[in-house]
Amino acid sequence: MDTIAETNTMAPLEQFILDHYGQEPEWLLARRRRYGSLYLELPLPVRQRTPLKNRKLDRIPVLVSQPVTDISPNSSMFNLVTVNGRSVHATLPESATAQGVVLLSLREALRQSPELVQEALGSVVDDTVDKFQALNAALWQDGLFLYIPPRVNLTEPITISHYATADATAVLPRTLMILDRESRATVNEQYVSEAGLDKCLWSCATEIILHDAAVLQYGAIQQLSASAEAFVRRAARIGRDARIDWNIGEFGAGMVVSEHLSVLDQPGGQTYSTTVFFGSRSQHQDYTATARHVAPHTASNMTARGVMKDSARSVFTGVTDIKKGAVGSDGRQKEKILMLSDTSRADAIPSLLIEENDVFAAHAASAGPIDAHAVFYLMGRGLSETEAVRLIVHGFLAPVIDTIPVGALRDEVWAQVERKILE
Amino acid sequence: MSTPVLEIKDLHVEIEGKAILKGLTLTVKGGEVHAIMGPNGTGKTSLAQTLMGHPHYTVTSGQVTLDGQDILAMRTDQRARAGLFLAMQYPSEISGVTTANFLRTAINSLRGEGNQIPLKEFRDRLDETMKFLEMDPKFSNRYLNEGFSGGEKKRNEILQMLMLKPRMAVLDEIDSGLDIDAIKVVAKGVKSLNGPEFGSLVITHYQRILSYLKPDFVHIMMDGRVVKSGDYQLAEELESKGYEWVRAEFSTPL
Repeated sequence: MDTIAETNTMAPLEQFILDHYGQEPEWLLARRRRYGSLYLELPLPVRQRTPLKNRKLDRIPVLVSQPVTDISPNSSMFNLVTVNGRSVHATLPESATAQGVVLLSLREALRQSPELVQEALGSVVDDTVDKFQALNAALWQDGLFLYIPPRVNLTEPITISHYATADATAVLPRTLMILDRESRATVNEQYVSEAGLDKCLWSCATEIILHDAAVLQYGAIQQLSASAEAFVRRAARIGRDARIDWNIGEFGAGMVVSEHLSVLDQPGGQTYSTTVFFGSRSQHQDYTATARHVAPHTASNMTARGVMKDSARSVFTGVTDIKKGAVGSDGRQKEKILMLSDTSRADAIPSLLIEENDVFAAHAASAGPIDAHAVFYLMGRGLSETEAVRLIVHGFLAPVIDTIPVGALRDEVWAQVERKILE
Repeated sequence: MSTPVLEIKDLHVEIEGKAILKGLTLTVKGGEVHAIMGPNGTGKTSLAQTLMGHPHYTVTSGQVTLDGQDILAMRTDQRARAGLFLAMQYPSEISGVTTANFLRTAINSLRGEGNQIPLKEFRDRLDETMKFLEMDPKFSNRYLNEGFSGGEKKRNEILQMLMLKPRMAVLDEIDSGLDIDAIKVVAKGVKSLNGPEFGSLVITHYQRILSYLKPDFVHIMMDGRVVKSGDYQLAEELESKGYEWVRAEFSTPL
């Protein structure tokens, strides 16, 4: 760590931007300054069920810069790796480069295709939405840029690892993906960190642009250590007849506020979303999945399954937002949460905001304790209590996890579930 | 294997502070079929659940041993591993877990680490047992008890019993809600285990299943204890005279 400075005034922030991002194009520097000042102006986000005040987030130093070192485990298994927000390597199989696929660190993409980055950056995610999003917009260290040319069908998943070391205090990666018309790709992002003595603030942004008839299988697994306080925001703009499948597994971090948004502003766009989460110990998890239907004949289907144990706390809000004019749209959501302890808490909050008459919308939500009689029944057949709970949790999650189309991702989600059950 | 002995001595049980069993004494040995009959609310199901260790029931005094081992000190899974089995009146539905997968997990839990049943052997035994119980083979791939009819659930309990081969089984109203053909199949299942290494305690309201099982002993339970014991004749007597007859006899000294 070479610099830590006061963060509550503009002067050091401005100096930090100049010192660390001074080589960037003027428009981006101006952008960073603009969001830097917004970050300072904005109060802590107010989240009804997630009090942020007592988490001492303002004590975490954010004006930090760490050397670029690739010390993440299994780094070579990934197409792109960021360590403490800095991209350390980006590689693509030759078959992909031959088809014109571009995968670069975001900073390298700024050098190679500045116009494309300028046009896309911040065009999908709303960087003004809260303090920590503004922080990412101001100080993002690096991240990735992916471009899939028209009609290219990438069969191999592109895998990305975001890693942080124990001494990291602010990790701010940014992902920008553009799938051109009729292209197909699978992208999996993974978030891992070493356990730190001090808290580490993560603010991550993933922006996705799907042109007409593009199809993206997007997967993410979050398994940050308990010292992480994470804010994750993902958004996709979905073109005509395009489709995104979100498959998100949430397991780690001491606290996480995570949102993913699908903007269906062209006819025929579709979004399918599966979120699996498992909270333990004193984890606090706050998730929001939103499908915003703007254009006619758009479809969304959002599913969430969560398991809570110990004194973990979760909130899952599903928002089906059908705007006036989105005739013939179809929005569905279903949330189910299983609680394994008396001291865990979970809320499933389905929300339907419907301004149009000629639509179909449906929701179902439930949160309840594990059936003690079922545990007794299974133990009566010789299963230990852990094994009985494990079987019930498996049965609860299987109908959702087994629909994840990407095998490696599915296996990883199961592995994380297994780890959490035994934890 | 030796002959199992289940001994219940002066058992007192409470549920939420209310006395349910009030000094129940009973011994079941391998090779014997015992039936417990009695009106609703006399503690028959409480006895079954207590024997298996349901956390809802609190034993306030008395003893229960299986082959001399204190089972009240054991967790539910340890009781199962000691050879005790309870066919439940209301089996739980376990979503997302197939009957086959569950049975294999259960068999392996009973056999212990490093002694897992080979898949082929398991499949063969399952197929054979289901055929014996006249069950549709598709049954094993359905989620455990989920959406099963009452009769299917009861048959599934017997399937589990035959697959797990307990030494001492408690069957709690295994016949309720079954038609006569299903009762015959269930009775056939229970009888297939009969022998010196298997004892059973059959809880029922009805004489019908007993006419197939031909119990060696019939006990009548009232108000938390056994008030009258006899042989199979007692069940027939009950059938013709009803419980009022016992109740009258039992309440005279009070």
